[in-house]
Amino acid sequence: MTSLEELRKINARCIHCRACQYAYSGEPDREGETEEYTGMLQGCPAGIYFGWEGYFNSGKQWMARAFLNGELPASQEFLEIAEACTTCGMCETQCPNYIDTVHVTEALRAAIIESGVEPLDKHKIFRDRVNDKTLRNPYNEAREERTKWLSEYQELIDKPDTKIAYYVGCTAAYRQQQIADHTASILRKLGIDFTIVSDEVCCGSPILRTGQREVFRNVMNENLETFKDYDLLLFSCAGCYKTFRNDYPEHSGQPLPFKVRHAVEFVYDLLDEGKIKIEKPYNKKVTWHDPCHSVRHVGIAIEKEILAKSDNWLLDSRAAEKAKEAHYELPRIVLNSIPGLDLKEMYRIKGDSFCCGAGGGVKAQFSDMALSTSKERLKEAASTGADILMTSCPFCVTNFNDGIKSLKKEEEATGVDLSDQGSKLVVVELLELLDELL
Amino acid sequence: MVEYNKVNDELVKKLVAICGEKYVTTSEPLRHSYMARGIMGMEAELPEVIVRPENAEQVSKILIAANDNLSPVTPAAGGLSGGFALPAIQPGGIYMDMTRMDKMTVDTENRVMVVEPGVKSGDAWRIFKTKYPDWAPPIPDGAPPAATVLGDAIERGFSLVTGVYGPQADMIMGLEVVLPTGEIFHTGSWALPGAKPFYRWGVGPNPDGLFLGSQGSMGIITKCAIKMIPHPHYKTVVAYGGDTWDDIVRPAWEISKHEMGIAENTVMVQGGNYELVMTRWPEKNVPTDYDFYKKIGIDRKWMNYEVWAWSQEELDFALNGIDKIYKDYEVREKRTLPQQTLHPKQIASRLKKPNKIAVPYSLWQAGFLFITWYCPWLESSAMMEEYCAAMSDHGFPETMWVASIDHARQAIVMPILCFDSTEPGIMDRIREFNLETTRSFLKKGWINYRPDPFVHAPETFSQAKEYYKMLVKFRKVLDPNLILHPGRLAIPWDSVSDLPDPSKE
Repeated sequence: MTSLEELRKINARCIHCRACQYAYSGEPDREGETEEYTGMLQGCPAGIYFGWEGYFNSGKQWMARAFLNGELPASQEFLEIAEACTTCGMCETQCPNYIDTVHVTEALRAAIIESGVEPLDKHKIFRDRVNDKTLRNPYNEAREERTKWLSEYQELIDKPDTKIAYYVGCTAAYRQQQIADHTASILRKLGIDFTIVSDEVCCGSPILRTGQREVFRNVMNENLETFKDYDLLLFSCAGCYKTFRNDYPEHSGQPLPFKVRHAVEFVYDLLDEGKIKIEKPYNKKVTWHDPCHSVRHVGIAIEKEILAKSDNWLLDSRAAEKAKEAHYELPRIVLNSIPGLDLKEMYRIKGDSFCCGAGGGVKAQFSDMALSTSKERLKEAASTGADILMTSCPFCVTNFNDGIKSLKKEEEATGVDLSDQGSKLVVVELLELLDELL
Repeated sequence: MVEYNKVNDELVKKLVAICGEKYVTTSEPLRHSYMARGIMGMEAELPEVIVRPENAEQVSKILIAANDNLSPVTPAAGGLSGGFALPAIQPGGIYMDMTRMDKMTVDTENRVMVVEPGVKSGDAWRIFKTKYPDWAPPIPDGAPPAATVLGDAIERGFSLVTGVYGPQADMIMGLEVVLPTGEIFHTGSWALPGAKPFYRWGVGPNPDGLFLGSQGSMGIITKCAIKMIPHPHYKTVVAYGGDTWDDIVRPAWEISKHEMGIAENTVMVQGGNYELVMTRWPEKNVPTDYDFYKKIGIDRKWMNYEVWAWSQEELDFALNGIDKIYKDYEVREKRTLPQQTLHPKQIASRLKKPNKIAVPYSLWQAGFLFITWYCPWLESSAMMEEYCAAMSDHGFPETMWVASIDHARQAIVMPILCFDSTEPGIMDRIREFNLETTRSFLKKGWINYRPDPFVHAPETFSQAKEYYKMLVKFRKVLDPNLILHPGRLAIPWDSVSDLPDPSKE
């Protein structure tokens, strides 16, 4: 299912109940630590920020239906509303009708653009850069510099006769090289025979999310060709991982020719198999932010993959949900294997996690919304009493750090202590910590 | 024929002056985002402008501006089980999204809470859970978290304790109403400035009934004072099965008659058939033969009893009382009505409020509609028999739900019409089904709960002519230009029906 037309029947399941606007819409009695974080809570970043029904998934489903029925024409205004969504999938967790809300939103964006509406300014820039064969990344960096971060271990580049590749992704390759460094270092420490492929190109995630599918298909096909002979691809970027794992099979119509695993999951696998043990302590209070792409989206995909094979959902839905929940536990198992680490969970977690605000093309195009969303999540993180906000996604890391910077500026300007809003939190990428401890 | 004017630039400017630019939009996509066709009604027209007022004064000014331009106004916040109250006829006019008005005050001493239209069940439950755990907020049972407290109450929807106290509207102690012409007034004791909403009948004849169930067509209710009930924490659900509708309806009547006895603990009595379970799943991904449901312990028909008590002893007393009535009934009527073995998770799921229990019927195909009827409790078996036969004839699964209101004085009978909303001609098929059952039921003296403008209301008022004439008279006094939610309650008549206008006979 890739086009909006193919999703017509799924979209038609929406009865506009608006349960999707709430985190924990099915858990009214969920206990929280504070009055603010208890029971059901609003959970849609765009809806909270803009207020109008059309920014919530519930409204978007009905705009999509009107578009499908020829009642609502494609327009720039329509695209702007459709694009103002982080595609975090919180809504998808809530839907008792199993509507693939993120698929509908992404397909709606694509359909509007394919009707002749120009993509939004920032999204167009991404697309053009990724489409440029001399770049193949959204950051306007030279393609030949993609592996420049790997100054020390050049032998890892295009290493022959290895079956495991680390897909670095554009952000770690060009902007947050420390994440690439830490990931490569972890793999070396674990004694993994792996390579970094110089021909890798952007996974296409930002292009796909923002509805620019033609260019996405080009880079997807290039990557599939480049990596086809590997057995396993490892990822440090939640977005790249989700794109390969969930979107490539759907858009190519073929199962992946290799296995995929996020580096945190890979560490989990080794812990689970008893092949490694973390001995060094990390004596800090930590709260964990679930990246939407690698946690919620993959969890939901696991659930729906099981249901797709089932001829009795009544019996199998519970097992499918359990498999999803088991996926949500993976990062927690890794964190709890670290001696001394005091995990203080936020209220909205796992499938009901509140987004950092950066995804779906929002960070670039709707920076105010991204910042506001980041601050809401930082406040929730601060409410746990943790000192460290840990996650494993370069976009979450960036957006949280931007939120903290903004809070610090506010503190400087007003003299008001905003530590209860998260101004004193330190954002740590879990892979960085694992590199330190392994 | 009433001629309404389209919303023009001048009117939009007035709305912006009243509410601020941020809260008025004519955006075509955003207007479409409020649409809903399903669950509580299939009829919906696109509004021309959306406005989000902050208080009753702004509501009043909007109505004055709408009257000046002769533009229709549809107020809505969320209410009921889902979907919105939408314009029924063209032009769609002004859609008043009341969700910004979301204040709530709680008076535990006088056991009344006051809500504005935007207070959602999920939020009310959360606030009560943390601040007032010994009280139950008057939220609808079986509605999702975004359903509003006020919307449910003024449309006479279910409460958590409808089996005992009747519909939510019976719990109302006072209203703040903005009349279609812009005047703001209070009902009950609230009419006296400074008085609390402690006495529903207030300072004179109470006009609440004109507004409750009017689907927003008599005035806009901007505040509602509702009784709060205690929230005892010894709770459970028991269920008994049977093969026929009478097997579940008659014992429930015997239990519910025990007023001032075990019936007071039995706050909700509701049941259904196995199709109610089956159609929550995709038609192609669930067994459709009853044998499967039998194997997993689901009877053909069953009735649930939700029991609240102040102690385990009191809870056991009520449960034993229910069981004894069933046992006696089985012997006397020579029936087998087994108590179902409920898994603790099933009990917890049923006790959960608010919940999403009513939502997944779209999975069967792609869309569903609740059609709700009231009848005297003991007549509900006959209604369900007829409904199921009609559903089968029209090619719909026989999904049926029934619940007691006020100690089984009345029944709400609700077929859930599961269909594929993308199927060409489906709306005509639903309309045919609705017309056929409506005509038959009206002859039997049964009434529709929330009449839709194109089938139920015209068919009903064609029978209840004198009532309709009075309704139109009241309406014209309150709303001389008929701007509020036109089409609802079949006013103006010729906008929704080709039948002879009863008010002219």
